[in-house]
Amino acid sequence: MLDRAAATDKLAELAIYGTNLQPGQILAISTYPDKEELTRAIARKAYQRGARWVDVVTFDHLVKRERVALAPEDSLDFIPPWLRNRLLWLSEEKAARVSLSGPQAPGALAGLDPARAGRDLLPFLPEVGEVVNARTTNWTIMPAPTAPWAQKVYPDAEPEEALDRLWEAIVHVCRLEDDPAAAWDARDAELKAGAQRLTERRFDAIRLHGPGTDLTVGLYPSSVWAAGGAETVDGLHHHPNLPTEETFTTPDHARVDGHVTATMPLELYGSAISGLRVEFAGGRVVRIDADEGAEALRAAAARDDGASRLGELALVDGAGRIGPLGTVFYDTLIDENAASHIALGHAYARGVDDEGDRARINHSTVHIDFMIGSPELEVDGLTRDGGVVPVLRAGRWQLA
Amino acid sequence: MTGDLLEKLADLVVGFGANVQPGQLVGVTSFVGREEATRAVARAAYRRGARYVDVVTFDDRLKRERLLHAPLDSLEYVPPWLPERLRWLSDERAARISFSGPQDPHALDDVPAERAGRDLLPWLAEVGEVVNAQTTNWSAIAVPTGPWAELVHPGLDPAEALVRLSEQVTHVCRLDEDDPVAAWRERMDALTGAAARLNERRFDAIRLHGPGTDLTVGLLPSSTWGAARFQTVDGLVHHPNLPSEEVFTTPDPQRADGVVTMTMPKELYGQLIDGIRIEFESGRAVRIDAERNAEALRAAAAKDDGGSRLGELALVDGHGRIGPLGTVFYDTLLDENAASHLALGSGLSMGLADEDDRRRMNSSAIHVDLMVGSPQLDVDGVTAAGEHVPVLRGGDWQV
Repeated sequence: MLDRAAATDKLAELAIYGTNLQPGQILAISTYPDKEELTRAIARKAYQRGARWVDVVTFDHLVKRERVALAPEDSLDFIPPWLRNRLLWLSEEKAARVSLSGPQAPGALAGLDPARAGRDLLPFLPEVGEVVNARTTNWTIMPAPTAPWAQKVYPDAEPEEALDRLWEAIVHVCRLEDDPAAAWDARDAELKAGAQRLTERRFDAIRLHGPGTDLTVGLYPSSVWAAGGAETVDGLHHHPNLPTEETFTTPDHARVDGHVTATMPLELYGSAISGLRVEFAGGRVVRIDADEGAEALRAAAARDDGASRLGELALVDGAGRIGPLGTVFYDTLIDENAASHIALGHAYARGVDDEGDRARINHSTVHIDFMIGSPELEVDGLTRDGGVVPVLRAGRWQLA
Repeated sequence: MTGDLLEKLADLVVGFGANVQPGQLVGVTSFVGREEATRAVARAAYRRGARYVDVVTFDDRLKRERLLHAPLDSLEYVPPWLPERLRWLSDERAARISFSGPQDPHALDDVPAERAGRDLLPWLAEVGEVVNAQTTNWSAIAVPTGPWAELVHPGLDPAEALVRLSEQVTHVCRLDEDDPVAAWRERMDALTGAAARLNERRFDAIRLHGPGTDLTVGLLPSSTWGAARFQTVDGLVHHPNLPSEEVFTTPDPQRADGVVTMTMPKELYGQLIDGIRIEFESGRAVRIDAERNAEALRAAAAKDDGGSRLGELALVDGHGRIGPLGTVFYDTLLDENAASHLALGSGLSMGLADEDDRRRMNSSAIHVDLMVGSPQLDVDGVTAAGEHVPVLRGGDWQV
């Protein structure tokens, strides 16, 4: 029988490790109903470590449901100014930030007009990308298990059993068993070495091909592959995602051609999207189809010019802890680390080295990850002279 | 509590209470454990055409972590976005809605009182300013929760306690009437009438005397009695407290002399203070004693110069629905409407008709209501000539 209180405590410690919280810092926590216990445990550990103030904002998707269902259509993209200013304030204060992931209320927007739902992107804020790229805050996104999430992941289990199973999965993928800090230090080093090998090849493009997918994604001359921890402008090392298993780069958004079939369902601002197929031509999404929820993605992709272009390409090998579970978690943080993926929208400046290339990266107020990886997905690197180099086969790295 | 009661409470606070208008912003201050009520309020507000419902949620259990573990000199810190948000709501002429009833009565158990009194959140120093500017149509309503019910009815099992508290809230909010809004209009008309009669008398002071209490509170020349029926600068009528049974005014902060013994325990920023006795001299609380947690009240009163002076005097007759229940709700909104009361701290400028008097009104970052009323409390009006006129006897108006 899993001791949830002990696991909560370890997750809270992981938040402190992930952000590398410093004495005297402000710590912001983005949380949701039902995640109170972990939120409080993180606050306790943060204050014990010397945090000056723990600034918690709780967002309720079931209040959002009322808005999407009932508010005037032309009001749906309104964002209260204090919420944006708060983020800029956290950036100016060089604060630490934690976001707790895992769907709060799966299906919260079920039955509502997806076009209306696609206009209200909260709790996402367009300023997030800018703050991330400014590297002013030491931040971490990490999961917080809840009963409604557990029932979504394990619909056939009794509620208590489902919650236990979710906690067990989270303990496993977050490497909480023995010494989580040592485990993540080691995995971080391993992922960074793999990223280094990819960067050294200076591929011109990456081709992804497998069932339902054949996509070629151009890279910039200075595209660098990154993984694991990041550093703030003040040199604070932190882990933006825990768990993390991905190696990612920022692609050339003008050179993307082909089609992809998502290998996992996606939860977008509360709408479920499954059986997703996306076609690209000349870097732009030219067609979006889905068995369910296509309209929500179409609305999001139409938000601004960059929303229909790629901002990220990420490769995940088969040696991570998430993929082998074969579980769909309906949570981007975990699912994106199960499988190779691409993202529409905002690009990370960290994925390009050269100032000239950095000026060319994609800009958008959205960043939408969707998973296209599977053991059947083959990944090749295309060299500038037309060579084809195997990169991933059956989930194994092919680069020496 | 049934979803049906929540819907009724939400409709009452959004419609009659705050009087939310189509196209308005609605600021909601909520607490962990009141998610369903918050969603019901959002639903009711959007149905009336609200443009955006802006919810901020507090958690007394998070406050506990702060009070126990944060540096002592950081405890008065308020993040800038909270006052910024309040000013924004004021600038936007928004509606504001909050809930009453303690979130978790034991959240601050064993927190040293001198630490607890330093963190006043979610109270903001700017609240008084915004209320006095009359830019927002606002209302607070009692919403039952399990932990609150167990505090009020410790002898019942938890499910029964919640049923009992829900019945009481239904009754005191007049939701057991066929037409609650009509019932509220009638009661508010009666209270507004009592306030008008008190205003005609232009008393110089009010004397409260009863068991453990003999206090004379001076009024300012333009002190005006009112009921909890407010108007914004734009003329929007709203009802800030649901329920409300009080008739209140803003006293002279320089003239209060005597002693008061509180007739009910006081819940202050998460702490329960029992058996409070306060001595006043020339308007100032010169001595604060309590059987339990006196330090929390002393810390609040010491917050600034106005924290130890009176900002409000309120009279409650015996015909309201709360007093007759004989229940201590450990919640200021309900308890202050059970009995006559005083408040330390900021005054309400609408309790003064004259600009000069408004400048003399008490100002403070705190506003702490303290209940002194009981059927045994006699209230007299003292005229400028020194004559004593009975105002309340045995809970009945004498004017």
